[in-house]
Amino acid sequence: MRRLRIITLPYLVWMVVLVLVPTLLILLLSVTNLDIYNIGPFSFVTEGFEELTKPLVITAMKNSVRLSLLATLICFLIGYPTAYFLANLKTSKKTMLITLFILPVWSNMLLRIIAWETLFFPNSILNMFGISLNLIGTDVAILIGMTSMYLPFMTLPLYSVLEKMDHSLIEASKDLGASNMQTFLKVTLPLSLSGVVSGVIMTLLPSMTAFALPERLSGGKTLLIGNIIEDYFMKTSNINGGAMISIALMVVIIVLFMVVVHFDKEGETLI
Amino acid sequence: MSLLKKSPLVMITSFAFFIIYLPILIIMLFSVNSAEKDYSFDSFSLKWYVEMFEDPQLFEAITNTLMIAFLSTLIATIVGTFTAIGIHSLSKKNRTNMMILNNIPVINPDIVSGISLMLVFSLLPISFGMNTMLLAHIFFSIPFVVLTVLPKLKELDPNLYDAALDLGCSRFQAIYKVIIPSIKMGMIAGALIAFTMSIDDFVISYFTSGQGFQNVSIWIYSRIGRKSFSKGVYAYNTLVVFVTVGMLLLSSRIGKRHLIRKEER
Repeated sequence: MRRLRIITLPYLVWMVVLVLVPTLLILLLSVTNLDIYNIGPFSFVTEGFEELTKPLVITAMKNSVRLSLLATLICFLIGYPTAYFLANLKTSKKTMLITLFILPVWSNMLLRIIAWETLFFPNSILNMFGISLNLIGTDVAILIGMTSMYLPFMTLPLYSVLEKMDHSLIEASKDLGASNMQTFLKVTLPLSLSGVVSGVIMTLLPSMTAFALPERLSGGKTLLIGNIIEDYFMKTSNINGGAMISIALMVVIIVLFMVVVHFDKEGETLI
Repeated sequence: MSLLKKSPLVMITSFAFFIIYLPILIIMLFSVNSAEKDYSFDSFSLKWYVEMFEDPQLFEAITNTLMIAFLSTLIATIVGTFTAIGIHSLSKKNRTNMMILNNIPVINPDIVSGISLMLVFSLLPISFGMNTMLLAHIFFSIPFVVLTVLPKLKELDPNLYDAALDLGCSRFQAIYKVIIPSIKMGMIAGALIAFTMSIDDFVISYFTSGQGFQNVSIWIYSRIGRKSFSKGVYAYNTLVVFVTVGMLLLSSRIGKRHLIRKEER
């Protein structure tokens, strides 16, 4: 099999060009006035750093951190019991149910956000049932939206570790006198830690960087860091500022990525 | 477990299903709602299912989406499978390092991948449009194929490949006739994930398509709240949901038959 090693070479080159090169490029763009669409001489600038102290950007960062942490906590509190319940069902049932659980992810996310948006206006289809919500612009609207979008990302890694868990360990723990709660805290939870880590990060990162979701569900009122990045790169062409904010974001991502790698080297809990 | 102890778990699980399925049900309801506005239900109508084909820009976005999804899935499945075979043959340390690299696009938020690809593509001598979007979709699909194929390779007896070579197979034949059939299920799973990731991708497509070339998500984003937003897109999404459910039911039946046949042996 050793002679097959050569096959990985093109992939290595591909990943270096598409992952490593752009990362260095963003780093370069964050501290220079290089015009990426019209390469020419460039010099170092410090305007990028000023971006990180702008009140608008700081507010967006605070919003991102607050809302993504809350959304992740909610997803964990719902996702863990769900994964636990599904993983302990009979084989034939659980495969079907977990597949059904992931299915909504395959339906267009923007449309699902729009569906929530219509429900959050006072005048909505819910009026048929005598319900009228007025949630657009509130954190609650964003959190419901995030939970609805990212809950499967939390649940799937948890399900895959809980499903593989050796059941006799739980029985052993109970035989040895541990209560249900003790068994859960001292056996089940520690054994599912790699799934918890993957689930938390797979929920935290997309909710932290979402931009279409907060834009729609807050009525444009609540800005997240993703909104600033989109605005700088796509609308106002502030590449230098956008790159600087992306670098700040990447620092967070790299730390979280290292945590995942520590618990799950080959990414077995990622799918 | 007694029913009483189970019931909080059942309740939470039901709530979880409710919160992720509600928007899909709402979209389905909108797709058969004759009203122009989304806040009232007038009467049952299939007119949006016709509209889907008659709005030229929406129809073009749908064909673009499907074309990109088929092409990127095909290419990513082939490339990803060979890459996984290569990664599997590496030493343990190199394999771990390659997998860390492989998982970067999986964990990386879409907005970071999107901007990264946009910047690299602007350096390369290709114009933004279908090609760049296709490359981007292949880029984010391959890691999923690698992740689904690799566990199947681990289950494989490592001597099989060498045995095939000893018995006179060429290297390509050994891969094609021995390895591929044993990892088929992993490839199918990977292709399924790749296809579904591609068909509803918004963020990465948005950053890598430039002006002019739209998939359904970009079409939606550029029209939310405008008059040109055709409700035909609700019909399209509903059809996609039904087709995916159908495909899943079919694959689970094939999977079961596969299992039964294995047991009979």
